[in-house]
Amino acid sequence: MKLKPKTLAMILAGGRVDELNVLTYYRPKSAVPFGGFARVIDFPLSNLMHSGLDRVAILSQYRSYSLINHIGLGAAWDMVGRHRGISILPPFMGYGNSRWYRGSADAVYQNLDFVRYHEPEEVLILSGDHIYQMDYRKVIEYHREKDADLTIAFLQVPLAEAHRFGVAEIDDEDGATGGRVVGYHEKPAQPASSWASLTIFCFKPKALYRVLEDNANEDASYEFGRDIIPRLIASGGRVYGYKFAGYWGYTRTVDEYWRTSMDLLGPDPVIRLDEWGVRTNLEHRGIRDFQPTIVGRGASVQDSLVYNGCVVKGTVERSILFPGVHVEPGAVIRDSVLFFNNIVEKGAHLNKVVSDVNTVFGADVHAGGPGDVDNSKVTLVGWNNLIPARTVIGTGSIISPQLPADRIPAEIAPGEVVL
Amino acid sequence: MKKTMAIDTLVLLLAGGVGSRLNILVQDRAKPAVPFAGLYRIIDFSLSNVMNSGLTQVGVLTQYKPLSLMRHLGTGETWDFTGRTRGVKVLPPRTGAKDSDWYKGTADAVRQNLDFISSHPSREILLLSGDHIYQMDYSAMIDAHRQKNADLTIGMMVVDESEIHQFGAGIIDADARIIDWEEKPAVARTNLASMGIYVFNTDYLISLLVENRDEIDFGMHLIPKAIARDNVFAYSFQGYWRDVGTIQAYWEATMDVLDPGSGISPEAWGVRSNSESGAGVADWPPSRFLAGCSVSSSMISAGCVIGGDVRNSVLSPGVVVEAGARINNSIILNECVIEKNAVVDLAIFDKRVRVGRSAVVGSGENRNVPNRMYPKHLYTGITLVGKETSVPAKAVIGRNCIVSPLKNLDEFHGLVLRDGETI
Repeated sequence: MKLKPKTLAMILAGGRVDELNVLTYYRPKSAVPFGGFARVIDFPLSNLMHSGLDRVAILSQYRSYSLINHIGLGAAWDMVGRHRGISILPPFMGYGNSRWYRGSADAVYQNLDFVRYHEPEEVLILSGDHIYQMDYRKVIEYHREKDADLTIAFLQVPLAEAHRFGVAEIDDEDGATGGRVVGYHEKPAQPASSWASLTIFCFKPKALYRVLEDNANEDASYEFGRDIIPRLIASGGRVYGYKFAGYWGYTRTVDEYWRTSMDLLGPDPVIRLDEWGVRTNLEHRGIRDFQPTIVGRGASVQDSLVYNGCVVKGTVERSILFPGVHVEPGAVIRDSVLFFNNIVEKGAHLNKVVSDVNTVFGADVHAGGPGDVDNSKVTLVGWNNLIPARTVIGTGSIISPQLPADRIPAEIAPGEVVL
Repeated sequence: MKKTMAIDTLVLLLAGGVGSRLNILVQDRAKPAVPFAGLYRIIDFSLSNVMNSGLTQVGVLTQYKPLSLMRHLGTGETWDFTGRTRGVKVLPPRTGAKDSDWYKGTADAVRQNLDFISSHPSREILLLSGDHIYQMDYSAMIDAHRQKNADLTIGMMVVDESEIHQFGAGIIDADARIIDWEEKPAVARTNLASMGIYVFNTDYLISLLVENRDEIDFGMHLIPKAIARDNVFAYSFQGYWRDVGTIQAYWEATMDVLDPGSGISPEAWGVRSNSESGAGVADWPPSRFLAGCSVSSSMISAGCVIGGDVRNSVLSPGVVVEAGARINNSIILNECVIEKNAVVDLAIFDKRVRVGRSAVVGSGENRNVPNRMYPKHLYTGITLVGKETSVPAKAVIGRNCIVSPLKNLDEFHGLVLRDGETI
């Protein structure tokens, strides 16, 4: 009989990620909308739900409000109950210890009393920033089987890209399942291996407590990748690698965000929202209050993802429409991602645009492309903008959030940043 | 401070009706639980009106097949009915010292719940039916009731004289006092019809109910008596209102949702539904519109995968329309699958129907052969397919047909069902 959960899950959701530009001015990366209805953090949260792990903490620092609002009670992921729950852990003031989280490891370190209180058998630490489906129970089983101090999930990436990640040399103790981590380097210039860390760490609590204490007392940097893992390996800890072979979607740059979004499309998309069972909080932004999408006479929607609450009277191709998007007659949207409540007025053309919530594209606005879709830059529009009719927005330009209409020039050059 | 707070108005919602003219749609659910407009059930309209009118205490009287209704109501949090002074209670018939019986009529149902009424002290009782599609601010009606110092106020609307025989009909004076009443009159003397919406002073309702236990129906017994004797006023409603109690009315009201000029808009009306119950929308991702699909003048709920043609139709969550399939003028409930090159025209599908490859549902141009078993239910060409039915590949099903639920028809290879026939 399962009463108290054995595993405490902690999601690192504090970061902003500068490269996402206007998308993270007002929200942490984990709260960035993704997949036509959800947020990035919904992927790890849904994975946790399907893995039966329902005691969860979220470490949040940057613009926590969007995240707090999104999580609500946690009911969307079935995490309300006697031993089930989501606790949001922002930085706090305390007796003799009042400071911001100085890094991912420091965020956990500052909350060790919370961790100890739950007396977990494992602490599963995840990043809230990735698009993937995983049964974490397999990582935990492997971790137990190896009696490891730390088990890290890795994915094989092209060697040329490995320098962007934490890279491990893993022996083949257990073949395709995993092996002992014999070397680890955070973002090495010359990677010796193509096994990239997925920022999924399963810790034995005692090992975690010790390594975090040592890190806090002796180091000047407090990151899991840079500091904690090397420290644990150097001190002879049993560190194992779990080899993951599924889909892994990055959203670390605007270009990556766009590419990963496109993985939702096509006849046989690699991101299977339905099979993955991704759930979101339908109370957030009132998604629940929308009626089904209306596709009008004369509309054309091709190879696209559309949630409830849209009204489409124009043409939509290879695009993703979040709830509340209106596409008026004669408007043409291609290769774009439009967040909640965007309005695209008559005759406007959007090519490879990512537009944050509540933006209105006036009649006959032209934004982005035409051109080679794969190699052209994303045109990025911040939230709450009213783009005046007939504005021409060059490919790859960036428009800051909620600009007064008179600050938006009639013609924006390709690559220009409008502040 | 009082621990039990009296509320102004207690809502009682009658949701026990069979609604048998909806045929197979009510085979295993009560009429108020029948799905409507993709994401909703009929009762969502009344419950959302209650919420949007600021009313917070509701009793739902159920009798006929209440399970899907109860699951749909859940805790009531969808309509903001959870909290210290808020709540929704399901009131099924029950056994007890005195009242051990089924509900014999609307008034009898309320009478059997007098204990519920007295345990929720209120000034007025708003009595509603869970069967209708409309938007109304009940608080304005309650204000009017108070201004007139009425014992009872009845929500009424103007209908065509040819339709008055379906309603309770009232004749009013210049002050909106109802001075005469006929229940379902054969000959029209007025065009003012009751919508089945009543505001009673609570004490007055209790006194009316305890007078004579043989008076079991509001429309037949208590309303005429109250009009003859007491202060009864009409509150006139203008706007979109439909009783979707017949297949034809259900189909027409659904099609109205597609027409911006019709006056019905669940979203603009603030209608909410339980997104977790049954095949609720919470487990569905956005719909995928595949390359080569064609969708026009239709309503598409989340979770659909559309590769074929959809015209003038309403799809509930999770419907799959394969490439080459065509759906026209139809209502398709949750998780139906229309396989390659199948054609569906003028049909209503209950949940999880599968139509095999190249099958036709709604074949031929003759819509005038009524269903032989239910000529009063199906006579305009609409074909019904029941829950979880598999229509075999290449089957041809005509107009005004009924294909009953849970029949696995795979053995009927090459099935042909002529107009008006039933399986």
